[in-house]
Amino acid sequence: MSALVATRAPLGRQLRSELRWILRRPRTVIGLASLCLVPVLAGIGLWFAVDGDGPAGPGLAAIIAGNGLVLPVFTLMLALPLLLPLVGAIWAADGLAGEAQHGTLRGLMISPVGRLRLLGIKAFGVATMTLFAVTLIAFVGAITGVVLFGGEGMLTLSGSTLPIGAALGRIVLTILLVTVQVWGVAAIAMAISACTEHPLVVMAATMAGVIVFAVLGIFSALDWLHPYLITSAWDGLIDVMRDPLPTEALWRGTALAGCYILIGMSLAAMRLATKDN
Amino acid sequence: MTTSTSARVEPATAGSTPVLAARTRGLRKVYGRTVAVDRVDLDVPRGAVLGMLGPNGSGKTTTIRMLLGLVRPTEGEVELLGKALPDGVAQALPHVGALVEGPGFHPFLSGRENLRRAAAFEPLLATGDIKQAVEDALERVGLAAAAHRRYRGYSLGMKQRLGLASALLVKRKLIVLDEPTNGLDPAGTREVRKVIADLHEAGSTVVVSSHLLSEIEATCTHVAVLHRGTVVAQGELAELLHADSSSLLVVTPDVDEALNALRAGRISARPIEGGVRVELIGTTAPVVVQALVNAGVAVHEARRHRTGLEDLFARLTEAEESEHNLSAVDTIEEGAR
Amino acid sequence: MNRRRVTVVAAAVGVVAGATGLGLLAMPAGAGPAPVLPDVSAEALVESVLNAKPAAFGGTVDVDNDLGIPAIAGVPQLSDGASNLRIWTDGTGKLRVQLPGGDSERTFVDDGRTAWLWDSADQTVTKLPHGSFERAEPDLGGEPKAAPTDPVTLSRQVVAAIQQYSDVTVDGTARVANRPVYELVLTPKPTEKTVLREVRVAVDSELRVPLRVAVLTNGTDAPAAQVGFSELTVGPQDASLFAFAPPAGAKVTEPEVGEPSAEDKAAAEKVFTEANPQVIGEGWDVVLAARVPRDALAGLAEAQQRGQREGRWSDRGQDADVDVQGLVKQLGKPVSGAWGSGTLITTRVGGVLIADDGRVAAGAVPEQVLVDAIGQVK
Repeated sequence: MSALVATRAPLGRQLRSELRWILRRPRTVIGLASLCLVPVLAGIGLWFAVDGDGPAGPGLAAIIAGNGLVLPVFTLMLALPLLLPLVGAIWAADGLAGEAQHGTLRGLMISPVGRLRLLGIKAFGVATMTLFAVTLIAFVGAITGVVLFGGEGMLTLSGSTLPIGAALGRIVLTILLVTVQVWGVAAIAMAISACTEHPLVVMAATMAGVIVFAVLGIFSALDWLHPYLITSAWDGLIDVMRDPLPTEALWRGTALAGCYILIGMSLAAMRLATKDN
Repeated sequence: MTTSTSARVEPATAGSTPVLAARTRGLRKVYGRTVAVDRVDLDVPRGAVLGMLGPNGSGKTTTIRMLLGLVRPTEGEVELLGKALPDGVAQALPHVGALVEGPGFHPFLSGRENLRRAAAFEPLLATGDIKQAVEDALERVGLAAAAHRRYRGYSLGMKQRLGLASALLVKRKLIVLDEPTNGLDPAGTREVRKVIADLHEAGSTVVVSSHLLSEIEATCTHVAVLHRGTVVAQGELAELLHADSSSLLVVTPDVDEALNALRAGRISARPIEGGVRVELIGTTAPVVVQALVNAGVAVHEARRHRTGLEDLFARLTEAEESEHNLSAVDTIEEGAR
Repeated sequence: MNRRRVTVVAAAVGVVAGATGLGLLAMPAGAGPAPVLPDVSAEALVESVLNAKPAAFGGTVDVDNDLGIPAIAGVPQLSDGASNLRIWTDGTGKLRVQLPGGDSERTFVDDGRTAWLWDSADQTVTKLPHGSFERAEPDLGGEPKAAPTDPVTLSRQVVAAIQQYSDVTVDGTARVANRPVYELVLTPKPTEKTVLREVRVAVDSELRVPLRVAVLTNGTDAPAAQVGFSELTVGPQDASLFAFAPPAGAKVTEPEVGEPSAEDKAAAEKVFTEANPQVIGEGWDVVLAARVPRDALAGLAEAQQRGQREGRWSDRGQDADVDVQGLVKQLGKPVSGAWGSGTLITTRVGGVLIADDGRVAAGAVPEQVLVDAIGQVK
């Protein structure tokens, strides 16, 4: 019996299984479908608004007329404060708390999957799905935008028009930046998820945190606190629509989200390594 | 009473101690201020079917969870397939199949998909073999016909069988089943017994926990009785039953004389209706009968009292703190080593 | 150490590292050690600043206000708080300035022949061909007295003028936008009555242009206002930055020049004459005083109400959406004295006294100086 050697299932197989598992879940399918509706509804709403006098709305909405490629960026900015964190939190909640609730986490550990590796697999699943969801919104947004508003290029907030290549580059950049922000939230959700068996607790706690952060961000008396709040970086992401591209706020926001990811994943790892199942 | 008909414990290969599939020493687990398990020294001989018997809350599941590295003992050691936990988890656990605290599956996936997911994480399964292994396991627990249905719609028995199937995805050296017949109808129970017997036949070690005595008696070669978080008796089922059956019922009208005679011979006895009950501790039936006859007691009938596991269990768990029982346990444990 | 403990320790390190990262991000960018630069006298520094040749550069200017003035919607750079603007110039007069504001942006581009002003909030472009808008400006009079053309002489005179009211010193060196600078400090002479404590100007050691200006007031350490580069690239800038083509779909307006401009000019000059602006005091204590025609404020308020009735005013831009009279009353406190009565608005860098009869006095001085000044308004 001393001839037993440590063996692990192939990582690729485990990751594939994880993604398959997430995608098979009805709520994932419903969630992704409703995310696709966001850019369509936003586009239709703006389309009616553009017909009226004056700008279609504040911010990016003002430059949407004849500028369809702005729609994916507009929609992502719209979805970032609430919708995307919710989606990330759901996946993080189902990843650990949901599995614990169904008793399947125990099964995975007996397989065995090392606890750190399990966290890695779960993080991979959430990260990939987040990227997928954000890309999906942007893709549907771009199609909807071009159909409704047309657009050979992209008018920036600064008044210059980017050629199609640069415009697509900006959309990809927005996708990446927004995804990293959602990862930041999802990492914290993952840490909560490692501590409970109730997915709803994870979702509620995460969304409460996002909302509280947003509210704290309103009070100027707390401006010493603002640089620590991940939500404070979200408004600054609109810099992707300025030309030339100002990178400072974007780097800062990404680094901020990176710190949240590091903290969240570390807490989750700490909890998972010491947890009794 | 199917005691040792199928007992096929592998002979000790190294030294005098039998090779153990699992072993715990001084196991203790404290949750907050509750001591769930204390001083558990469990031996699971290789090839045995060990029944863990105990009322609900006696620490069976906690012990099993520690055995599988799911829970970290507060004190004590666990050795699984010869590897010390927790460091040996990656070596030992691939060879261990388990069904702990009921079956755990995703309600929105079909039985087959659930098993595929579990199989993807099995280190010993080659990727190409997963499909076949899943089908085989489904077949084995009789779920092949319902495999396409969502787990959500399964009956309790089907869920239990699926859990069993996931423990059987790979040929295991050790299989741990926590209350495997929970929720099963008599037919299902029989099937589980058959699966356990097959596993045993194939040389796997099986640990079954149950609060049902009949269950243990029907399937196990070994038994460990847990009570209030500690092992109160363990050993081969046959030995335990034999050790426990070492009382002699003597039917006699002269109860007082009989008691006096036996006390004189330093044999422990107590009166029962229509006679005396003699504990065969440090003595044998012929000696007892001889002593009674010598004292002129009329012995109408003398027979071995075969209690079965139920009595043993009841005595071990109910009439606690009695000197008699404690000494009995000591005897049993000595006999088991 | 077992693996579990290693994991826990590593994870704890991760948490600490993440928290430290947050702290570092929250901290203002470290200034780094002060660079070692050759000594320079304050006079020479001021002269070199005045004689500096315009250079091509691009950069970001951080504006940090703590003046205690109201927020001006749409233009954060003029309101309290932190904001920034981006500026590029080729050194020969071409200029690009971008004013990011929340989720919109104003861009000003001067391509050498035409100046363009873009506002993303209403997708409008204002086109100002060169030679039109200078003429439209009212002649503010008070032409500088026969200025010497020699820049060196001029700068000497300026230095002398500054030194008449201020102590000018060089207070070591520092780094601004990662460039070595001299810290030039102008401190009012003790006899000055201004509320300002000092003005610090960070002068680039190489280009001799100010990279940061900070105004400090009595009683606090933090600047009441600070404007400085947070990022600066010196050298030729991309030529495309100084070109602007109005995007398709944008409304392009061109303020008409010529016939109406004469009227405007006349009107402006009339207002100017009526207002009779005057400068009272000298040095740091200078107070600008004027007499606003009595009906001017009322007229403004009326126009606003009219606009609101027609429901069009708010479409014209948010900054016009201000109740001027109400705002004045709201911001200031009523004061009265031998000179009359009015409203005093104080900020950390000075105040404005608006008398009910239309007299106005403003300066970086305490209340009493303003009151004295308004008494002198004719």
